[in-house]
Amino acid sequence: MRIKYDTKKKLAEQIFLLEILKGLWLTLRRLFSRSVTIQYPKERKELFPGFRGKHALIRDPETNQAKCVACMRCSSVCPARCISIRYSVDEKTRARKVDSYEINALRCIFCGYCEEVCPVNAIVLTEDYEYSDYTRQPFHFDMERLLKNWDEFLEKNNLEPDKYLNPFLRPRGLPLGELPAGKRIDVPEEWTYEGQVIWKDGKAVSAKEAASN
Amino acid sequence: MLENKAQLRLVKGDEATHEPYTIAMGPQHPATHGVLKLDLELDGETVLECKPTVGFLHRGVEKLAENLSYAQTLPLTDRLDYIASMANNVAYSIAVEKLLDIEVPLRAKYIRTMVMEMARLTGHLLWLATHALDIGAMTVFLYCFREREILLDMFEEICGARLTTSYTCIGGVRQDVTGHFLESLYDFTEDFPSKIKEYETLIDKNRIWLKRTQDVGIVSAEDAVSLGLTGPTLRGSGVDYDVRKHMPYDAYPYVKFEVPIGSKGDVYDRYRCRMEEMHQSNSIIRQCIEALPTGPIRAADAPDLVMPYGIQKKVAADATFSSGIIKLVKDSERYIEGDVYVAAEVPKGELGFYFVSDGKGVPYRMHIRSPSYIHIGALSFLCKGQMVADVIAIIGSVDVVLGECDR
Amino acid sequence: MELLWILIKIVIVFAVVMLHVMYATYFERKVIGHMQVRMGPMRVGPHGILQPIADGLKLFFKEDIIPAEADKKVFYAAPLICLISALSAVAVLPFFEGFAIANINIGLLYIFAMSSLASYGVVLAGWSANSKYSFLGGLRSSAQVISYEIAMGLSLVGVMMLSGSLNLTDIVHAQMNSPYKIYLIPQIIGFFVFVVAMFAETNRTPFDLPEAESELVAGYCTEYSGMRFALFFMAEYIGMIVMSCLAVTCFLGGWSGPFDVPGIPFFWFLLKAYFFIFLYYWVRATLPRYRYDQLMALGWKVLIPLALFNIVLTGTIKSLFG
Repeated sequence: MRIKYDTKKKLAEQIFLLEILKGLWLTLRRLFSRSVTIQYPKERKELFPGFRGKHALIRDPETNQAKCVACMRCSSVCPARCISIRYSVDEKTRARKVDSYEINALRCIFCGYCEEVCPVNAIVLTEDYEYSDYTRQPFHFDMERLLKNWDEFLEKNNLEPDKYLNPFLRPRGLPLGELPAGKRIDVPEEWTYEGQVIWKDGKAVSAKEAASN
Repeated sequence: MLENKAQLRLVKGDEATHEPYTIAMGPQHPATHGVLKLDLELDGETVLECKPTVGFLHRGVEKLAENLSYAQTLPLTDRLDYIASMANNVAYSIAVEKLLDIEVPLRAKYIRTMVMEMARLTGHLLWLATHALDIGAMTVFLYCFREREILLDMFEEICGARLTTSYTCIGGVRQDVTGHFLESLYDFTEDFPSKIKEYETLIDKNRIWLKRTQDVGIVSAEDAVSLGLTGPTLRGSGVDYDVRKHMPYDAYPYVKFEVPIGSKGDVYDRYRCRMEEMHQSNSIIRQCIEALPTGPIRAADAPDLVMPYGIQKKVAADATFSSGIIKLVKDSERYIEGDVYVAAEVPKGELGFYFVSDGKGVPYRMHIRSPSYIHIGALSFLCKGQMVADVIAIIGSVDVVLGECDR
Repeated sequence: MELLWILIKIVIVFAVVMLHVMYATYFERKVIGHMQVRMGPMRVGPHGILQPIADGLKLFFKEDIIPAEADKKVFYAAPLICLISALSAVAVLPFFEGFAIANINIGLLYIFAMSSLASYGVVLAGWSANSKYSFLGGLRSSAQVISYEIAMGLSLVGVMMLSGSLNLTDIVHAQMNSPYKIYLIPQIIGFFVFVVAMFAETNRTPFDLPEAESELVAGYCTEYSGMRFALFFMAEYIGMIVMSCLAVTCFLGGWSGPFDVPGIPFFWFLLKAYFFIFLYYWVRATLPRYRYDQLMALGWKVLIPLALFNIVLTGTIKSLFG
């Protein structure tokens, strides 16, 4: 498709600067319209669930400890190699015990692979994005710090520990069979494979609904 | 000695006294779109020679990829053209899928096409914003950001990040779309043409804009092809080449759209091309939403993020498996051997990924054919004989991003 | 006694002009901000009302950096030349009946002289910093001054012919006695040329080439910092105010208005001057920037012929009907 345009002006347009007047009229109208910016520290934008922010280890309500089972999936998938885990194996039960879990948040590129591959939903990137500091040390998150991040995040947002939902804890639109047991948590129907949305008659409806009608 | 020199100048006249005024434009300059450095040789305000210097933002993505699994390299592609990272994600994914011979499910294809066109809008909006700002129309800059913000919010909704999206995965996408996303995107597409009109009111017919852009930085169709230009920069010169049309991928075969091409090849034609492309992208997004099918969002044979191809089952069965996954990734000889080059049409032009695979879990060599790099190469051709102010307009019109150029 | 009165007037006008400069920067940011659907300064004081004071303090306490290779004396002098010449021009402006610091007979000519002098400050600043961007900015400025000074002078010749005087107070009086009360209507071409030249003379968008930030970083004031930069900034805004006042005086009937506002004799003058200052902001928010050679072409090929035509037209009409 060849673009056609005509930039020649009529005499009247040329003399009376019509196109410039139109532009001036637009900016004048915008002078009295509402501004779209927000005053950041005073008002904050509401983030969508799943925003990849500050790291945290979810505190298991039962054991009061991290859920991590030291499967090493997160540290091996991490493209920036910023997660380092050390664990010891119990000789008898062959169960693993996490000795240390460290994240260097300054290396992290916030891809969210760690929380997506975690089979037990131990690690999560919370929706907290304000954690600047003057030194590097506070960004080396160890186990306690990561658990504390989780507590702080819950407190800051007034969340119940078991009410927190994040699309990376159970990726939207994946069938249940493709998920490890730890990721099969309750999610809104829209997030499940069966409840995926399609477009019908000018609005988004779930595919199940559309089929039944 | 000095006197002799002065006499020499007098005798020889113009030639001897005439020395060019060299000026280093960049790497810290408000209008070079990042860390591009141009060494300009000026005669008054006329550019005699323009030598671009690149590499200030080199991070070695290609070399890094040789040590990361295919899935791990994907988040790095966000950092190429960080203005429209969704498009890079898609381009990278289709390249790897070609290498692994994976067929992506239809729903994922439509979602990818949708986000790719959204990325095109974000890219073109930022291009228009900065291009207009360089030429002095400050207000267009903020109007464009107003709409770009809405699109970035939608990116945030589906993938959790505004710029470094990492939304696709090899064999599909990482998250399904939500109803709220579809509805807000559809509302956006209904509103957007009127916003384009708003930008056009300010600049399209404005006599100053026309004077600054028309007959500036002309590149003929032959020159454009031989310089290797792609994307709207090439189409502005009247060459009908669009990867989406000529080597369709994802859902592009199923949607209707036109490829706008210019005729003269000046800055204004490239501007018109991109404006028209925004309209086309808008319509593609609408078609994708309306035709969005149901089905899986990841291919069944898509590799797991952590476990490489093939050994997945073996590892799952082995409960004592403890460490060394990275070693396994590197050593698993399950990938297809050979070379593959796949290109996709990103906002800047043709972004191609070239893999040489020796069958391991990591590429033997990855090369990125980044449009910005090639477009910067054309700058010295385009800027010769123009004025300093035109150099700014030309940089804006070829639309370069240094993250992609230096990679 | 008369000297004291003049001194008092100087102090009053200086204070008022400086206050206007401060708040011109504030309102520029506010107006352009809202035109661009954002808010402008919001932090210092309610709606950022104390922003100019914060800016002033910041610039005052900033380090004064002088390039090693600069021509120091000229480098120091350049911003002062700009500021002093801009401020001197204020002296002859009649703000209301009988109020001008110096009601001299060549007021108009004096303003021209002063505004050209301000451009020397710009040229010298560009040259003395010994920086390539500054130098280009200075060159552009000198070219711009030469071409637009002429257009501006010629555009006001029509006003001089109609009023028969160069004294600004007399020009206002002549307008009040003219059939249309303002010279805008008989001098519409002159007015148009004047407004365009006014933008160019004060280096404002779309003619802000000497300091085009996207091309020349900051043009002639690239190497200036702290207080010296602030002096340039003030000079630019005083220049804007002077040009707005001149436009009001020569074309819009000065302090006269449709009715008298009791107690505020300068009401109409301020209102009209504010309109022109608003116009500066408004145009800045709307238009792109010309290229250097296009600017020259516009000046020499359009504005000067138009102004000359206006003179011929005015003369013809005046000799036939006047």
